[in-house]
Amino acid sequence: MRKRITQILALTMILSLVCVFLVACGSSSGSDASGGSGDGITIFNSKMEIQDQMLQMAEKYTAETGVPVEVYYSSDTVSAHLATRYASNNPYTLSMVDAKDVYSLAEDHALDLSDQQWVNDTTHAISVDGKVYGFPVCVEARGLIYNADAIEAITGKPFVPSDYATLDSFKELIETLKAGGMKSPTGVMKEDWSLAAHFLAQVYEEREDPDAFVRALSADTTKLIDDAKFNSLMDTFDVLMNNSYSKASAISAEREVTEQKLAEGEIAFLFGGNWDWSVISAYDYTEHLGMMPVPQNTDDGSNGKLVGGGSKYFFIDSSSNTSDQQKQQAKDFLNWLVYNQEGQSFLVNDCALVPAFSNITLAVSDPLGASVKSYVDSDALIGNYNYLPDDHYAILGAQFQKYLAGKDDREGFAKQVQTYWKTKTLTAHS
Amino acid sequence: MERNTMSYKARQFLMFAGPALILFCMVIIIPFVYGLYLTFTSWDGVSATKPFVGLANYVSAFKDYYFWSSIGRTLIYSAFAVVFVNIVAFVLAYLVTSGVKGQNFFRAGFFIPNLIGGIVLGYVWKFVFNRAFVAVGEAITAGAVPSLLSTTGGAMFCLILVSVWQYAGYMMLIYVAGFMSVPDSLKEAAMIDGCTPGQAMRNVTIPLMRSSFVTCLFLSITRCFMVYDVNLSLTKGEPFNSSVLAAMHVYNKAFIYKDYGTGQAEALILFIVCAIIGITQVYVGKKGEVSA
Amino acid sequence: MTANEKAARKKKINHVITIIVLILLFLLFIAPFILVVINVFKVKADINMDPLALVGAHGFTWQNFPEAMKKMDFWNVFKNSAVITTCATILTILVSAMASFVIVRNGKWKACSILFALMIASMVIPFQVLMVPLVSVYGGIFKILNSRLTLILMHTGFSVSMATFMFHGAIKTNIPLELEEAALIDGCTRWQTFWKIVFPLLKPTIATVAIIDAMAFWNDYLLPSLVLGEKNLYTIPIATQAFYGTYSTDIGLVMAALLLAMLPILILYLFLQKYIVAGVTSGAVKG
Repeated sequence: MRKRITQILALTMILSLVCVFLVACGSSSGSDASGGSGDGITIFNSKMEIQDQMLQMAEKYTAETGVPVEVYYSSDTVSAHLATRYASNNPYTLSMVDAKDVYSLAEDHALDLSDQQWVNDTTHAISVDGKVYGFPVCVEARGLIYNADAIEAITGKPFVPSDYATLDSFKELIETLKAGGMKSPTGVMKEDWSLAAHFLAQVYEEREDPDAFVRALSADTTKLIDDAKFNSLMDTFDVLMNNSYSKASAISAEREVTEQKLAEGEIAFLFGGNWDWSVISAYDYTEHLGMMPVPQNTDDGSNGKLVGGGSKYFFIDSSSNTSDQQKQQAKDFLNWLVYNQEGQSFLVNDCALVPAFSNITLAVSDPLGASVKSYVDSDALIGNYNYLPDDHYAILGAQFQKYLAGKDDREGFAKQVQTYWKTKTLTAHS
Repeated sequence: MERNTMSYKARQFLMFAGPALILFCMVIIIPFVYGLYLTFTSWDGVSATKPFVGLANYVSAFKDYYFWSSIGRTLIYSAFAVVFVNIVAFVLAYLVTSGVKGQNFFRAGFFIPNLIGGIVLGYVWKFVFNRAFVAVGEAITAGAVPSLLSTTGGAMFCLILVSVWQYAGYMMLIYVAGFMSVPDSLKEAAMIDGCTPGQAMRNVTIPLMRSSFVTCLFLSITRCFMVYDVNLSLTKGEPFNSSVLAAMHVYNKAFIYKDYGTGQAEALILFIVCAIIGITQVYVGKKGEVSA
Repeated sequence: MTANEKAARKKKINHVITIIVLILLFLLFIAPFILVVINVFKVKADINMDPLALVGAHGFTWQNFPEAMKKMDFWNVFKNSAVITTCATILTILVSAMASFVIVRNGKWKACSILFALMIASMVIPFQVLMVPLVSVYGGIFKILNSRLTLILMHTGFSVSMATFMFHGAIKTNIPLELEEAALIDGCTRWQTFWKIVFPLLKPTIATVAIIDAMAFWNDYLLPSLVLGEKNLYTIPIATQAFYGTYSTDIGLVMAALLLAMLPILILYLFLQKYIVAGVTSGAVKG
């Protein structure tokens, strides 16, 4: 009898403990739901480099304006993450995405921002069918990052990038560096997005009509291996590849290690973009770093320009899950970024971004951003091509990696690119 | 006796299996059916419209070369991983139940790898392969040493190694419980009758541990087939997409290449393949189970 | 030497060999951990440049821990993880043990065999098939996401299949029917028979399922990230993922977070180990 009572007691205790837990859990959820309760904005940040800064900014912004701001970050792929948020009817007020995502999301989920004042102060906003949906967070450009201190330590004279715009002069410099003790003066990033979405993309972008070229590839009316631009860029890539510190095992080179070597001056050149500053700045970097156009033996002027443009865009959720008050608060936030002194300082000084708005005149704080800004200001920027298919970077990135690993030659690689494009049907876009 | 009335059976069933049944239906059955419906649409994951397209997604899934090659790779990977995991786990379990001093300490030690979540596990091993192994290699040969992860075969090897490392402790646990459930009296009786320890193992212990084998084989086969976390963080499909296993391909297809309908269809095909293998194995195993 | 002494000596040699083998295997197994422990006390630059060194060029530093804890909001996410894991584990064990009992003892009933087959089949459904439909139905239609209770119930729902499978094997193999029949003759109902006799005998399996499920829930990233949208509800794995972006990884912080997250589960495992052993020897079956 006693045993039975203890048994029942034990069971009841466990069950009631469980119930207490459940009740406790249930009651504390939805406590300060800023998303659904109609006030305050949630921001989805997809730029890991500025996550810390955004969190601090959110606190200050809330303290100053009284509008609750919560910043979220996810390491999931942006499209997957947003897909699940929209499926669960729990979207963010403001989402930061890439150009491609704006195109796919805009019609159904983004607010029309054509009437906002900042539209007139930028050339980088994204619009679909004539309506502005994407607010450009920054301008980013790619080129050859260099460590001037490391170069000057060997050459003994100041490093002037424009002296090395041609591939021939660049090759001479490499030989000088090698003779002077820098065994492998370059580094190459093996990431598929760096190879296919950035370097290979320049093959499409550095010409009069990138769109026509891409369509020709898709319709199989042009041969890539005969293309002058393709060969010119691949010649440069070969030089970078053959002089890289990671040559023996190029495809397992880790980005962090490569950037550390560049920062500290162990290598002198690396193809990348000004976003790399956030990685470089974590190491003991030397003072004089910068970015120059990719050297090529060409007359078309592309070796005097960086390739880039707007990067990362905010859009405001247009669904009924976001109240009108929240939509207005989101618009106010965007205006604060552009027109408020503190907002501008946040973008340029705290996040080290190159502003996309012509009214922001603050000097860019980091050397790579400063390089980019000088090219932007002197109108020496070749625009991004934002209409590459979603799987371009992954599939052609893999093929490019094969080339990097020495498993494929230039002709084979060109064939792979053409094969890929033949399977793509391109839709019209505005 | 009221044992056989429908109402008695229903009451018994609901009383014991009711909660499990409800949760199971709500969390698995309902979404599965809805997911099945989505494979018949051309939804891209974000748009508000889900146009019905019949079997088009299945057709493109069957035509997807990358999908079938990823399944092939997964089969190879699973075959090796399952065999090695179970051998290592069984041996470990035997060692830690053999009565040596400090075996509890070892039981804890071998289980530790499994305590780490899949994604972090991959990053740690990536660090080991790319940095630590290479550093050791360079110190020994005084030259540049390519990382194991930089070749296709090497990457597969690394995946298998990490999976064995991760799951051996887990399966060891199940085998330990199996070993412990075989009464010593039976083993002693067999030895008194003249068996060697090896024969006792083969004819007494192992048959009585059949349920452990079935469980472990099932768990390891299904986990290896559906591996994603470690795949993502250890190799990310590199080098050149040659280590993309099935679950990763399916995820990429749905969310990165934004072909959600086809991705879902492929996921369902993957499920059917895995289910056939898994259920067959369990069915064959359970038939021979010995009751106490 | 007498035959007995010879046998005793052989046994001792076997033991020594076993221990040596165990130590070697053990070192192999924890080698990555040793690396983690060495490197977590170094600055990021040092981890890059010299992963094998005991102390980095910039010296020994605790810095990774407080930084990781701050970025993760550690104590809050720890509390969330603990509550969710505990509740879901207890619920899973109770619910699955009950279900497997009725399935094993009444395997011929249609309902039982269908349910069991479905459960086994469901163990191989790739989570991705269910991911978007799950949030669409429970978030889009019923709006019950963003709650720890929902997550606990979902975790349980996903785990009952495996737990039932394991209990099924244990009951079938280790719980003799005679015991239950004896209880019935004594006047117990099936419900009492289960809780008084069968459940206590399942201790090793309960401990095994407990540790396996607790670990799975503790380390799970995907399901919680879908269900818990709000920051103050985050669990440890969600908070940790801020350290490994899509494009680069802060390995020092990852290592610190890893060690912090591992400790509770390790302690739980050490605690449960005794039950896996004790449970078997306390059974009422022998003799």
